[in-house]
Amino acid sequence: MKRFESFIYNILGSKAKHWLVIGLTLAALAGSIAMLPTKIVLAKMLPGKSANSFSVYIHTPTDSSIEETRRVGECVMSILQKESEVTDVEAYLGQGAPLDYAGMVKGSGFKSSENEAEIVVNLTDKHEREEPSFMMVHRLRPTIKANCEAVKPGTVIEMVEQPAGPPTLAAVVAEIYGDRYESIYALSQKIAKIFKKTDGLVDINVMADDPYKKFDLVPNSDKIARSGLSVEQVNKILYLAFEGMVVAPKNSQNYPDQIGLFVRLSDKTRRVADHSAHALETKLASLKLMNKKGMLVPINEVVDVVEVDAAPTLMQKDLRRMINVTAETDLVSQVYPLLDAREKIMNELSKDYDITTTDYLFNLRLVDKKTGEVFDLKWDGEMKVTLDTFRDLGAAFIAALILIFLLLVVYYKNFTISGIVLAGSFLSIIGVIVGHWVADIVTEHTFFLTATSLIGFIALMGISSRNSLLLIDFAKSLMVEKGFDKQHAIAVASATRAKPIMLTAIAIILGSALLASDPIFGGLGVALISGTVAAVVVSLIFIPVLMYRAKAMDKIAKE
Amino acid sequence: MQESKKYQPKDVAGKLARGFLHNPLTPVLGIFLLLIGYISLEIMPREEDPQISVAGGTIIVPMPGATPREIENIIVNPLERKIKEIKGVEHIYGIAMRDVGIVNVMYYIGEDREQANLNLYDKVMQNMDLLPKGAMQPLIKPFDVDIDIPIVTIDFYRKPGSKISETDLFKLVRKIQHQLNRIENVSKTEIKGGSKEQYNIEVDLGKLSGYHLSLGQIVQAIKALAVNVPDVKGRTKDGKLVIFGVKNAIESVRDVQNLIVAQYMGSPIYLKNVATVTEGSDIQNFKRVIMTQKEGDGFSPVHDAVTLSLGKLAGSNAVVIADEIKAHLKSLEPQLQKAGVGYILTRDYGKRANDAVNELVDHILITIAIIAVMLIFFLGWKESLIVTFTVPAILAITLFIAYLSGQTINRITLFAFLLSLGLLVDAAIIVIENIHRHLHAHDAVDRDMDEIMVEATDEIGAPTNIATLAIILTMVPMAFVGGMMGQFMKPIPENVPVALVASLVVAYIFTPYLGRRLLKKPHLHHHHHHWQKDKPRVEGGEK
Repeated sequence: MKRFESFIYNILGSKAKHWLVIGLTLAALAGSIAMLPTKIVLAKMLPGKSANSFSVYIHTPTDSSIEETRRVGECVMSILQKESEVTDVEAYLGQGAPLDYAGMVKGSGFKSSENEAEIVVNLTDKHEREEPSFMMVHRLRPTIKANCEAVKPGTVIEMVEQPAGPPTLAAVVAEIYGDRYESIYALSQKIAKIFKKTDGLVDINVMADDPYKKFDLVPNSDKIARSGLSVEQVNKILYLAFEGMVVAPKNSQNYPDQIGLFVRLSDKTRRVADHSAHALETKLASLKLMNKKGMLVPINEVVDVVEVDAAPTLMQKDLRRMINVTAETDLVSQVYPLLDAREKIMNELSKDYDITTTDYLFNLRLVDKKTGEVFDLKWDGEMKVTLDTFRDLGAAFIAALILIFLLLVVYYKNFTISGIVLAGSFLSIIGVIVGHWVADIVTEHTFFLTATSLIGFIALMGISSRNSLLLIDFAKSLMVEKGFDKQHAIAVASATRAKPIMLTAIAIILGSALLASDPIFGGLGVALISGTVAAVVVSLIFIPVLMYRAKAMDKIAKE
Repeated sequence: MQESKKYQPKDVAGKLARGFLHNPLTPVLGIFLLLIGYISLEIMPREEDPQISVAGGTIIVPMPGATPREIENIIVNPLERKIKEIKGVEHIYGIAMRDVGIVNVMYYIGEDREQANLNLYDKVMQNMDLLPKGAMQPLIKPFDVDIDIPIVTIDFYRKPGSKISETDLFKLVRKIQHQLNRIENVSKTEIKGGSKEQYNIEVDLGKLSGYHLSLGQIVQAIKALAVNVPDVKGRTKDGKLVIFGVKNAIESVRDVQNLIVAQYMGSPIYLKNVATVTEGSDIQNFKRVIMTQKEGDGFSPVHDAVTLSLGKLAGSNAVVIADEIKAHLKSLEPQLQKAGVGYILTRDYGKRANDAVNELVDHILITIAIIAVMLIFFLGWKESLIVTFTVPAILAITLFIAYLSGQTINRITLFAFLLSLGLLVDAAIIVIENIHRHLHAHDAVDRDMDEIMVEATDEIGAPTNIATLAIILTMVPMAFVGGMMGQFMKPIPENVPVALVASLVVAYIFTPYLGRRLLKKPHLHHHHHHWQKDKPRVEGGEK
């Protein structure tokens, strides 16, 4: 302790050493902050969480039948059956799986069509499993997509992991707004293509109906009227014949639901030979309606079969037509691939569109050079939540700074001293960033600077300001009560306070050691550990120098 | 500072220390705190993720026969404009499909759910007159995270070689659903997959033409027979009741088969002549659940399954409910065994919540142990014991207050505790360190123990208060973080400040109390082997 006291005394005695300390501190600050833009330390909202299950969503093309969807699902299941860590797999065909956090925002509750399926994969307990679920998803994704998307061309398979934090629609969501559906669809296809070329983005899906052909039966009103039929009758019989209908229920005493009496054409006679207008017309020729006079009229006599494009489902957000293009990220932060994709969009689409940036969040406005149509591209999903959260936490941080400053001003009635304490608190950021850099080098996976790291940093400010506070208070009382000179008082105070400061620091470091191994709160653990180390160094060496240089210390002592 | 008379505490720290130093209620208070903390830990509802209150809902308006563009123009657009009038709505998503229009409404996170749902319902009901002709009654479904997300899902399946039919399995699951629904706090239950019983009448088109019949005639014939009517009350001459009623003519599938649909050349045509009538399952339902599970080294072949999912009421304990469900299933096992039905639990959030909570509780205990060992090394085992006692006391207060404020034990609340752990031993460490320093000071020998305790506590009171207040202030702005993330981490700004305030109070009350009873003044020769003596006390540091 004596050695430390004279060490501080020594530094305080020389102007050159003051500047050395200040210079080194500022250099460390600049160096650590520079790690963010240079991508040495990467940012992400929340890292992946190893869970005991994950899901696979299957979207076959819009006009696929349930049999085709089932084939894709069985393909995925057959691959999963080869995994030793999988305990069971359930496929929900034509519907969403029982809701979970991810499904809640991904719309699985609304799924009810033959081209959708969700597969739930349960794994062995994460504590007994070597491979975290996100690594497993990473490993299986290429195999599953390569094998099973080919079963029905046009199929998109998404691998969905349980979110570590609040769920979002997807990691990256590009909302494309415009006025005409056709041109929005065309643009969204172009964006999807760019996403596919972007490293780090996977499971790209355009959330719109795929274009397909359908047949319109155009009723010939003249013929219908002359044959004594009605359009309604035609509609009803067609539905009854091919889709079938429960025409009457039967209640039963020993059955929990009503029993329906379901009428439909038999399988043999119902199926159309092939997907063509001619085949459909032939089938309709054999289906007859009875008119009022009791005569049977074949349906093809009163309708014309026309092949047309099916009308797609229209989506709107906040009263504007929109199509979502979604993508997931594979083990990487969504921030950097998004910026990459945005860069590519601006380069590659500049031939056909005038692209300008709009307001918030790197949003873009595209104007078609030929037609003058205006499109807006807005980013949403995890990216938006990330930016919003980081923005809010940043604001919370600044608010915390101001509150602490005001508190100190009330306590010390002095701006300079309060400023010193605040500066000391802020410097713990050096430790936070360097700590993440070290953690990234040490750990196997990328260690991201996350929202929890920021929470840790905010908490640290309070901790390090307490160190400075106790130091200043003690030095002050030494000067006032014992009449020490400033240099001596500060040196003695640093040495005396070193023990409790170290003790509390060690308590925090040990207390956070278990946090650091947690996938989600690891950022916070690392931030607390490394930030505390930085805070100790700062408050024992840098703060005394500032205190010594501040005239305010003399003033406080005099009062 | 060698006053022989009573030390006058300047700070609340010293006053608390003095007040409780010889109070017989102090140990009672300590035990009481630990007790309520333990009780809170046991009875507080446990869940894995915190409840995020998302307000919003879905409005579904069917309009058969309309194309997406028509739906967009006459249903989605007017509805969206009306929804836009509601305050607090963040996003409106419109989906115009064939035959149906859907509008999803998302309120800003943090809006009051009850009020938001009410507003949404009101707005739609008030504007029913704007709905076009041909549109059906709108369906309004509010989101409810707690009720909608099942905590347990069970998959039932027919074992290989089982004789039970698909539809009987469904019937069985339906029965089990009803039984499980009785369990307290189980809310929404749902069955996915499986087939309902149904009489299928598959008409042969060729035979239809042969008998000169139309589909419409067959439908008419079936409808004419399948009617249910209430019983009729007749009276006898002497005023007694005679009750009789027309029985539904369809009792079994044979009745349907023998239905006469028309006469042809004078002889009746039965339905079985033109159609195959079977007692089967709902063939028109394309929704299926298929599964495969590990069996020995390999997997079972893909087979059909019926999924039963169960949700819980908000604020109830996922662990308890899941345990009850599992116990009930266990009791059903012989019955299922006999029927040849197997089941596996495919989701158990109760276990997950319990595991997550227990894991974090373990972490907290380990951390406390580590800190205790560290303090033995630096301060001595008695001092370490004192600090270690304060930790459960502080956590107990915090848990109890969290329980009173209606929180649940989840990942984030426990994480808030872990985060505060490093911070909340500080106050006690600072107090005990100062007591320690005073006891080992040169003038300690002549002074009264009580006075040393009170003075040592009082001395560091003011800066510790301010410093703790500073940490609390850093947490407060976090409560204003918006969006889902803000909701998700809300337990941190809610609990950490409470823990910190508790840490101050506990440190000021119990540290001097326990210090007075456990610590002793060192003997004078103590100096030589205790590094603490080098501490530059005023006299010692002076050259």
